[in-house]
Amino acid sequence: MPALHTQAAVSARNANYDIDVTLDPATRTLTGREVISWRNIGAIPAYSIRLHLYWNAFRNTNSTWLRQRKLVGDNPFGASRPDDFGYTHVTRIVRLNDDGSDGSDLTQDLRFISPDDQNTDDRSLAAATLVDAVPPGGTMRLRVEWTGKFPRNFDRTGVIGNYYFVSQWFPKLGVFEAGGWTAHQFFANAEFFSDFGRYDVRMTVPDGWVVGATGVEQSRTPLGNGQTTHRYAQDDVHDFAWAASPDFIERREVFQAPGRPQVQMRLLLQPEHAHLAERHFTAAAATLKYYGDWYGAYPYPTLTIVDPAYQSDSGGMEYPTIFTAGTPWLSPRGSGEPEYVVIHETGHQWWYGMVANNEVTHAWLDEGINQYSDARVQDAAFQPIHLTQRFFGGFIPWLYRDIVLSRATDLNWLSTYRRNPDRDSISTPTAALWPGSHQNMSYHKAALMLHTLERMHTWEVMQRVLSVYFTRWKFKHPRSEDFFAVLDEVTGKDHQWFVEQVFQSSNTFDYAIDRLTTEPLGARGLVESADGLTFQESSDGTQFRTTVIVRRLEAGQFPVDVLVTFENGEQARERWDGRGRWAVFSFDRAAKAVSAQIDPERVLLLDMNYTNNSRTLAPEADAAATKWSLRWMVWLQDLFMTWAFVV
Amino acid sequence: MSEHRIGVIAAFIDGLMRVKRAPWLVVGTWASTLVMALPLTIVMQEQIAAHLQSSMAAAAAVRGINYDWWNEFLSQTSGAGASFVPAILGFAAVMQNVSGFVDGSDLPSMISLTVIMFLVLSLFLSGGILDRLARDHRVGAAGFFSACGTYFLRFLRLGVAMGVVYWALFGRYHPWLFDDLYPALTQDLTVERTAFLIRAGLYIAFALPLCFFNMLFDYTKVRAVVEDRRSMIAAIAAAWRFIRRQPSAVVALYLLDALLLLGVIGVYYAIAPPAAAPDAWAFSAGQLYIVLRVTVRLQFAASQTALFQGRLAHAGYVARPVPKWPDSPAAAAIGPQ
Repeated sequence: MPALHTQAAVSARNANYDIDVTLDPATRTLTGREVISWRNIGAIPAYSIRLHLYWNAFRNTNSTWLRQRKLVGDNPFGASRPDDFGYTHVTRIVRLNDDGSDGSDLTQDLRFISPDDQNTDDRSLAAATLVDAVPPGGTMRLRVEWTGKFPRNFDRTGVIGNYYFVSQWFPKLGVFEAGGWTAHQFFANAEFFSDFGRYDVRMTVPDGWVVGATGVEQSRTPLGNGQTTHRYAQDDVHDFAWAASPDFIERREVFQAPGRPQVQMRLLLQPEHAHLAERHFTAAAATLKYYGDWYGAYPYPTLTIVDPAYQSDSGGMEYPTIFTAGTPWLSPRGSGEPEYVVIHETGHQWWYGMVANNEVTHAWLDEGINQYSDARVQDAAFQPIHLTQRFFGGFIPWLYRDIVLSRATDLNWLSTYRRNPDRDSISTPTAALWPGSHQNMSYHKAALMLHTLERMHTWEVMQRVLSVYFTRWKFKHPRSEDFFAVLDEVTGKDHQWFVEQVFQSSNTFDYAIDRLTTEPLGARGLVESADGLTFQESSDGTQFRTTVIVRRLEAGQFPVDVLVTFENGEQARERWDGRGRWAVFSFDRAAKAVSAQIDPERVLLLDMNYTNNSRTLAPEADAAATKWSLRWMVWLQDLFMTWAFVV
Repeated sequence: MSEHRIGVIAAFIDGLMRVKRAPWLVVGTWASTLVMALPLTIVMQEQIAAHLQSSMAAAAAVRGINYDWWNEFLSQTSGAGASFVPAILGFAAVMQNVSGFVDGSDLPSMISLTVIMFLVLSLFLSGGILDRLARDHRVGAAGFFSACGTYFLRFLRLGVAMGVVYWALFGRYHPWLFDDLYPALTQDLTVERTAFLIRAGLYIAFALPLCFFNMLFDYTKVRAVVEDRRSMIAAIAAAWRFIRRQPSAVVALYLLDALLLLGVIGVYYAIAPPAAAPDAWAFSAGQLYIVLRVTVRLQFAASQTALFQGRLAHAGYVARPVPKWPDSPAAAAIGPQ
């Protein structure tokens, strides 16, 4: 089976990995040997190499990764056992001659570097100087031998029980761009960045273990010593991950859609989740369909879904053609689990997998666009999705059938964004975000920003923006400015003000109707008349002046509409540029006003407080408050009766 | 020793009849939940109204759930307002409260304070309630509150012992079970169902001593009232002797009452009104459920009293006489000579 529907290269294929690796469950180690074939597609010679050794982030608590986690009070290795730590140790690295023989040995020169935070204890990034530079267009081949110790699986990678999720596991080159190497240490906040290429990987595991990996299975060869080698290969991907366990149960389905290449979907499932298999496939298929319709077809022949083991903390992570999902054992239909995570991670095959922005600096480009898009898929294919809460230690779900989650606010996580909206801006390089802000900026605010753009321009326009952006940047490495360039181009409008206010700024938005009055039109006081200045109180009761005072309560600026509705059903709409701190709008009409709204269509989804965006002259706050406080009272009485148990 | 030892079923039914014959106890206890909940409900009402002001969002909140507004309110509120979460809706309230109870979840301080005040009030009322249920005939408001007053100080002393025990259970035993033991037992588990079974086992391990002490203190109060005991330590010892001599009856009765409680909760599960239900129906169904909860609570006390009286005394026996107040001098002066 080919590793891509089309054998023609669709990417630069300048970083190719040929890997042999053996997993030893007894020692929880990997022993690997790889040949990296790398072509310099930059404009200047490469005098050195950068090698990611990600598992060294789990070597000890002095790593940058774990220091970052500590900043937000999270200390996953605080009470760890010695066996929980992990590492990558390069035992030999040699540059190969053209004939394949060993050339210069770089092992002694390999040194750990920490360009991002000068943390000399961090060993997640290494460098070595090349005796002979690699000129632009030139190639080099490196043979790297290493051993890796699996960390306890607490985030993305590692082992728990018999469940191995193997990612960021092999020594991997950085990306050589115009100005040199782009390679970062491993941050808790940020993910990865690498070049496209061909991966041909042979994984040796105990007999009987089920293996799932990036790409297409090429062969399965028993070695006769209790081990089997599984070979997988894939072109035009920029990473390779795999999973192995004797406990997986395996399901397969085929995704087919008119005019689209078939996709073999493979699900490696925990036995306790067998009843949820069909829901995994349905969600993955819906994403393949909708993302395919909106942005472009999925080009790979396989998609592997790994259902992570309980407590593996490896769920919800994307890799080329393979990802981890994750679901609780009890997941009622309508709860959005496991659908959400499957949709999100399948969606990453587009935003991350093919459009491969640097996740260490521009994570919003994959996470934000993907969250915005996955919300659309959820809305299109899986509504109603209900609010679900878990009780009794998080095991027992309760589905609120009264509460259907909305795409605009709930599926874009507005309420989560609201909690800490201004600690950073989306434009901050991802690794430099406050560790507690990454999700809020890269996912939530970015998705809300994109949905705001949708409401400014319509979905049809946004879909065109994203499909042009996808087509132009697939199998490449775009930056934020590339996205906004496409936005300007497709919409024909300059979004600089938007970029400054929403993307580059940490300001928040809150527009409000401060006051709404409506009174008979006329003057009361001294007016000119034949007798000079005389007192008059003139109003015939047929005309009314409605006055609306609007305010901008936060620093963020955004143009908004002001809409006034009158008793006779008439409506009046004014545009406010939203720059001043306040403005007054007056309307003379034959009817009294009923209500006034600012941003009535809620274009600005980032408005922190939408309740104050409207005002009515027939307020129902007391009725609403009474209704809900009485519902709350029953809860309180029940709480009394629950605790009355102890007296 | 009575020759006719009352059976468990008979005590259970006798308890139900005693509660039935004391409707004002049900009404009064229900009213106590209402009275204690009302001040915070008014605070909540004002908080919600203040947030909505003249907003058009109120109209949507009147018609049904305006979840978007709800989230916004939660992001801007504090104190009791923070407890205005979706779990107040219908049966979710029961789920949250029971789960919070067994999981040791924190409550906003204002809510915790109100719960404590309610427990003190319940302790105060329990003397009168037990006295009324033990006598199984009307004692009047004066008699009821006289008993409340008589036993309140004794029960406060008992409350110290109860406080120590429950502090040990909730403050020491529970954290040991769920913060130390549970993570240790499950840290390498890869199967959620197994973890759930372990947690369920720990719930039972927590419930067993909790129910035992609950039963012990229940019978302590029963003996204190029926036998007019002043020493609460002696009453605890007497309750322990009673339980020790007829453990199966005591436990069986407790389980029967617990089954009744589960039945009531099951009924509420079936009839709990959805958020969109008319306000009157939602309020009525909620209050009906609270009344049933109150009834079950009284049933625990009544059936345990019936069992105790049926085993060691006789039905309706209470050592302390019903207090009789002399007519006031003024009334005597104008009354018939």
